[in-house]
Amino acid sequence: MSGDAVESAVRRIDEGDEPSPALTGPERQLDGRVRVIWALRALVSAFTLGVGGAVVGFFVADDPIVPGTVLFAVIFALGLAFAVLRYQSWRYEVRDDSLFLDRGVLTRVRTVVPYVRVQHVDVSRGPLERTLGLASVVVYTAGSRGADVTIPGLEPERAEDLQARLKRLAIAAEGEDAV
Amino acid sequence: MKLHPLSVVYRTGASVARLAWIAVVGAVSSSQFDRFEVAVAGLLALVVLAAFAYQVIYVRRFDYQPTTDTFDLRSGVVSRRTREIPYRRVQNVDVSRNVLQRVLGIAELRVETAGGGETEIRLRYVSHPEAERLQQEIGRRKRGTDGDDEDTPTAGSSVQQLFAITPKELLLLGLVRVDLRLLSFATVLLPVIIPSVSNRFPLVDLLQAAPVLLVGVVLLALVISSLRAVTGYYGFELSRDDRELRYRRGLAQEYSGAIPLDKVQSVVVSESVLARLLGYASLSVETAGYAPGTDGTGSQSAVPIADRDRVFRLAREVESFGDPAFERPPKRARTRYAIRYSLGVALLAGLGVVAARLLPFPVPVPGYAPLALLPLAPVAAHLKWTQIGFALGANHVVACEGFWTRQTRVVPYYRVQTLAESATVFQRRRNLATLVVDTAGAQGIGSADARALDIGGDRAGELRQELESRFETALAAARTDDAVSPAAGIDSTVTPGSAPSAGE
Repeated sequence: MSGDAVESAVRRIDEGDEPSPALTGPERQLDGRVRVIWALRALVSAFTLGVGGAVVGFFVADDPIVPGTVLFAVIFALGLAFAVLRYQSWRYEVRDDSLFLDRGVLTRVRTVVPYVRVQHVDVSRGPLERTLGLASVVVYTAGSRGADVTIPGLEPERAEDLQARLKRLAIAAEGEDAV
Repeated sequence: MKLHPLSVVYRTGASVARLAWIAVVGAVSSSQFDRFEVAVAGLLALVVLAAFAYQVIYVRRFDYQPTTDTFDLRSGVVSRRTREIPYRRVQNVDVSRNVLQRVLGIAELRVETAGGGETEIRLRYVSHPEAERLQQEIGRRKRGTDGDDEDTPTAGSSVQQLFAITPKELLLLGLVRVDLRLLSFATVLLPVIIPSVSNRFPLVDLLQAAPVLLVGVVLLALVISSLRAVTGYYGFELSRDDRELRYRRGLAQEYSGAIPLDKVQSVVVSESVLARLLGYASLSVETAGYAPGTDGTGSQSAVPIADRDRVFRLAREVESFGDPAFERPPKRARTRYAIRYSLGVALLAGLGVVAARLLPFPVPVPGYAPLALLPLAPVAAHLKWTQIGFALGANHVVACEGFWTRQTRVVPYYRVQTLAESATVFQRRRNLATLVVDTAGAQGIGSADARALDIGGDRAGELRQELESRFETALAAARTDDAVSPAAGIDSTVTPGSAPSAGE
């Protein structure tokens, strides 16, 4: 499907020096598996807080089980809900002049990163992401918010493709002396 | 070229002073032994000798060389380092010397580039004339003219004085520039003082003594901060030539520096409540050069204090942003602040009630006393609301906010790094959003981005798109400008970055 379209676009670019408009693309969602990562993170924090709740419960009411489980269940449920909602809210778009991100559950953030301002692009893969076969793209600018621009939950090929595309677009945008 | 030979002396002294605690620890731990004094003296001599030897090697190995395109540096005792900094990338060049360094006739030269967590070049120390010469040479090399015509301080361009501080302004600065950060020391000091006091007096007296103590500490902090401001900005002078702003200041410790105008990221006019009442303001110029926390006293300050109109005139000389017509946030934003502050007061009252229950002695005021502040919440909300504004000028975006210190930030469209439009749950409830305009400014404490706070949700989206297109236009204009005339005077044609484009 669209994956093939991207691949062919990359092939086209690799052949010619000039970046073609095919580098840009429509608004995209993250890979659905990113929800698993977020859910697992929620599990870890729910477990930690649950243990904390159990300890407090033990000292205050001599009962570690009830507060521990309740806290764990509530936090985990919230984390799951957040994982789903966050996934639903995430959109990114490789536009003509800039990268556009739109995400956030409680605080909705829309970020515009002009390609001219891109300093470098990283593809990072943490242990959790590696097990699930996912990767993140981190876009750095000279701005004071530094590494704020991260696109998580991408298939590794897509991440590397995005990195290559952003690199080409940044070069095409002629790295002005931004600072 | 080599560092000044006397830097060995100063550097040894400095590192011994840094290592003095070791000597103290050694002295304390060896006090059980018989030959206590001998041991201490021996240890101290050893430390001094080691430090001296190290510094001799450091200074001997340190070599700097301004070449045609780069400033080269070779340094290091254990691990050696070679560094080349292209002049084009240089942001600020600063020279400073404290009293001791002045006696020795040496000065420190610092060269900043963007990026990196620390100063890229630090020459500790060269002779003062050499530091000034280097400062000028780097400036000259930056603009590409040949640096052969030495001993002509005003080489090729007219230096014009923009501002010199008057004694009256200096005194006002001491009054206005009260550094509240010093109060954090008070919170550290109080727990140290209170036990010693409470040993002497019963607990009830402590409650009465605490306010007195607090006032004393606050007063002390105020006096210290105003003294720091006065000595730090003594003899402040700002001048400019066609490409640089230059400043000089300081009584005991002297600073001088050059801020290249084509590296200016944003211009900020700050007015505290007191300064607003007196009709004064201060101006600072942000470049991307300063690493976080290199100089807490604000070495970017272009004008520490001056008449408000004059400050705005000077600001317009750096970035000609005209007379912005500020757009105000909608009234529902004010409602939001009022509710926020009321909730804050309610929370405080709740905590007060709990505290009153838990404390083992009767408290003179009831726990819910903070509720008396409730009528102030709408007032505070209104005051905050009245100071917020946002304007799109011909070449700049101007944003202001802050009641206690109102900051008006001017960012050329060309300097925009990223745009971020955000809306929290509470903002969305009232259809509000905030648009942050990020620049490559300094990352120090208290530095903030220009932002349109709590504007209408739809307006934020519109503004984001408008800003993006204006950014693209400014970028295109800067490119053609670069191609046609790289050098010009300080006016709006230069502000959208006249830096030579990279990589050619």
